[in-house]
Parts: sequence; C-alpha cells; structure tokens
Amino acid sequence: MPSTETSPRREYAAATEWLAGRALDALIGAGGPALLLDTPDAPAHRALLAAAHVLGPDLLAPALLAGRPPDPATTKLAAEAHQVFAAADPAAPPAAALVRAWRGWTTAGLLARAGHAGPAELPSGPPDDPAWARWSQPMAQLSPLALPGLDSPVHLLARQRALDLARGATRAALRRDHRTALRLARWLAWLGPADCPLDLPPLLSHLTLTGDGTPRSALDLALCRALGGPR
Amino acid sequence: MTDAVVLGTAHQLAGRALAWLHRAHQDGLGGIGWDAGPDLSDPNEAYKPIGECALAASLVLREPVAGPADRERARALLDFGWVQLQGGDLLYERQFRHLLLTDPAETYAPFHRAGYRHSRLDALLRELAGLRSARAVECRPNRRLAVANARSVLGLPPAPDWPALAAATWLGATPEPWAVDWLTGYDLTHAVFHLTDWGALPDRLPAPLRDYLAAWLPVWADVWQETGQWDLLGELLTVDACLPAPVCGRSGWQALAAAQHPDGLLPRDAEPVDPETAFKDNEHTAVVGVLAGTLTLAQALR
Repeated sequence: MPSTETSPRREYAAATEWLAGRALDALIGAGGPALLLDTPDAPAHRALLAAAHVLGPDLLAPALLAGRPPDPATTKLAAEAHQVFAAADPAAPPAAALVRAWRGWTTAGLLARAGHAGPAELPSGPPDDPAWARWSQPMAQLSPLALPGLDSPVHLLARQRALDLARGATRAALRRDHRTALRLARWLAWLGPADCPLDLPPLLSHLTLTGDGTPRSALDLALCRALGGPR
Repeated sequence: MTDAVVLGTAHQLAGRALAWLHRAHQDGLGGIGWDAGPDLSDPNEAYKPIGECALAASLVLREPVAGPADRERARALLDFGWVQLQGGDLLYERQFRHLLLTDPAETYAPFHRAGYRHSRLDALLRELAGLRSARAVECRPNRRLAVANARSVLGLPPAPDWPALAAATWLGATPEPWAVDWLTGYDLTHAVFHLTDWGALPDRLPAPLRDYLAAWLPVWADVWQETGQWDLLGELLTVDACLPAPVCGRSGWQALAAAQHPDGLLPRDAEPVDPETAFKDNEHTAVVGVLAGTLTLAQALR
C-alpha cells in the first residue's frame, strides 16, 4: 500500500532542490541576488536548515558573484545551518570529515564577511591523494569552494593540479557521472580559460543537455558560467 | 621513467601471452587452410590474424628485450605464418588480382621486417607504388597511416607526409577527450602505432599530439580498465609505450596481469571465456599483450 508519508531523507533532498532553485533565481533572475525564501511552497524549517547545510557556500554565492553582501534572511539561514551542523560527525570516515571541515570553514569565512561569528579553525590540510582519479573525488565534493575571492590551501592545490581536475571531469563525463563532472567543471571554470587544460564551453553544453536537469545541477551550471564571466 | 613493477609485470605478461600463442599454433590453431585462394572469402578469419601475429613476433625480434626462448617462439610464429601465406605466394596472387588492395603490403611488412622476402611481390609493390591510383585509394585516415607505415617499412616510395596524415585522424584534431567511444579508442591507438612505427619513432608523433596523449591517455586507460575491456586497455598501454615516456602508471598493468589466465590466455574483456572459441575470441588480445609488454620494455631501454 503506497504511503503518503515522506521520509526525512526524501524531504531533505526535496528541500535542497527547492533551495538550489531559489539560489539559481537569485543568481540569474531579474530580482537581484537576494534569495526569495518566504514563499508558500517553502519547506519546513528543519528541512530548510538541512538543505542550507548541503548547499553550504553555494547559498551565499549569488551575492558574492554580484559583489554585494548577502541578504539578511539568507545570511540568517546559512548561519543557523552552520551552527546546527558545525560539529564534526565522529563516525564519519576521515575523507568525508575533511570535506565537511573545508565546506564548513568556507561557509564560516563567508558569514564572517557578512558580520556573523568569526571564521572557523583552518582544517588540517587539503585532500592530497597523489592519484588523480582518487583526488578528484573529494575535490568534486569541495566544488562549492570554487568561488571568486576565496583562497586556501585547497584553492592553491586546485591551481597546481589543474590537469588532474580536468582528468577527473573527463573521467566522470565518460562514466556518465554528470554530477561529478559538473562539480569538477566548476573548479575548471574557477581556474579561468588561461589555466584550464580543457576547452570548457563544449563540456558545459554537453552537461546541460545530458545532466539530470535538477535545480541543483542547473545552479552548478549557472555558477560555472558566472565564474567564466568577468570578475 | 617506467617503474620496476610495470617492467616486471610487462615482461611476465608478454612472455606468457607469447607462449600461449605459440602453443596454440603448435596445436594446429590459427591456420589459414591449405586450399585458401587469393580471394579469401573471409579475410578476417585467419589471414588478418596471421598478419597481426607476425607483427607482434616481428617486434619481439626487433627489440632487444626478449630472452632466447621468446625469440625462438617469435621466429616460430613468423615461420608458421609465412608457410600459411605459401611463402608469400598468397600475398602476391592477392595483390596481382586486386591491384588496389592494401592488405597484401600491410601483411607483408612484418615478415619483411623480420627478413622474409618474396621477389615478385617486391617488384609488384614497387610498380604499384608509382601509380597515382594505388596512392589515391580511399580509406579512413588511421588506415591510411597503416598503409603509409607498411610502405615505409617495405622501403617503397614516396616518403609520406606524416604531419598531414596525422592531422587527418581523429587524434589529429585533439578532440574533446570526454567525447570518445570504444571504436574511436581503437582508431586513436592505431594512429599512434603507425605514426611511431610501433614505438620506434616516438618523435614522428607531432608534439601537440604527444602532449594531448600525455594529458588524456591515463583517463581512457582508467575508464576502459574499469569496464574490463582488456583488449582496448592493452592497446592503450601499447600507446603509452609508443610515447617518449610513459604516462599511465601501474594500475592498468596490474589489472591486465590479474585478468590473464594461468595458461597465459589474456581475455579480451570481462565476460566468461568460452573454451570452444577461446583461441579465436582472444587471439587478438594475446597479440596486444605481446605488443604492450615488448614495447614497454623497449621504451625503458630507449
């Protein structure tokens, strides 16, 4: 018998797509970089917090790319999500914990710029697996760090290992892992055409046509294109 | 520089693949049939594999990396093939009857490289080399490279315009590396094989193509390793051996070695091997294993 109840996992996933859609509107819509969060179809607050945690720095990216401070409602949501989910999960594998730490550090840094609590402690070090295929996996998860004006040991490594990022994106595209390809393409867009070992526009066009079509992917694509524009 | 693990793996894998091929031929497999005429109803059945086997054997003899036992096996495979080709008569008759076919020269080239000669075929090929018609035969760009390299090995004029031939291939376009497919994977490997004369002339590969391969070959090897396409992975590792220095690392080699059966059979893919058709199904992959291992060892000595 079909159930009308929604599991928390599905609820959070739906909320993440909803929030990504709001960020996308803020990024490319005519209404400016403020996220419209107070709408009738908005998810429950608990789910919204989880979604804000999943999107991490991407929530604040539209304002950053517009060169403005984030709007108060978005800042408040990002700050609350950061506070709720700041604690490390002791059961998480080290690689996942490192990704979480870097994303949290970046969100904290962006919030500090917006006048919230000070930045978090710098994580122990960037992912540094010498094998390009393995290294590209955490770098894909860290793609929300690929924003203008941010700098860290992760960014330094991304510049040093541009070819490995491009190999990772190529591998992911060949494996039809479009989500990973898109995330790595985000780093390549952040590098800029002069330092990118791939001709990026054809890959972005391909991923636009063959991706999963979700608001989250659309946000990633829009961020890639925004990063490719004038900074 | 190639690492010692790769060299050890390449040496063992190639030796075992060569022994498997040799044993299969001793057991009566791989023959073309005594009643075969020059028209060959199915050239891919035995004629083409004989040429491929001869190619691998000729390179085992060309490179100073194989031990005496492997060199003897290589010579035995060439002798076997030359007998199957009726001492070259079959190639001559085929070329005589079908002037514009390119496969007689392509099949003859590895035998010629290893010292086998057929004087009437030599004369016929020299005559055809002067014909605009033979030079203008239409074929795909990587096949045109195959013909050019065969003619070069046979010492036939004119000297090919290698950069122009390279530029016409898929690889020559330095395309988006994520837009490649399985069949094009084979096309690009063969473009490299012929441009470099199987690793002997890595500098004949234009520098932009060397750089392009250095960037993307590891990705293609990784992807087709993951899907268990051992035949194509072996070809890609052979490409790696044709570059000035290897770029692929040891993972592909370890995967290929793990896939090789205890008797030396190197399966073409991850599907179960059918004992009834094991030789025909996996003969090409054995040739690839011999080529990949031999040329990897040779590259380390260059």
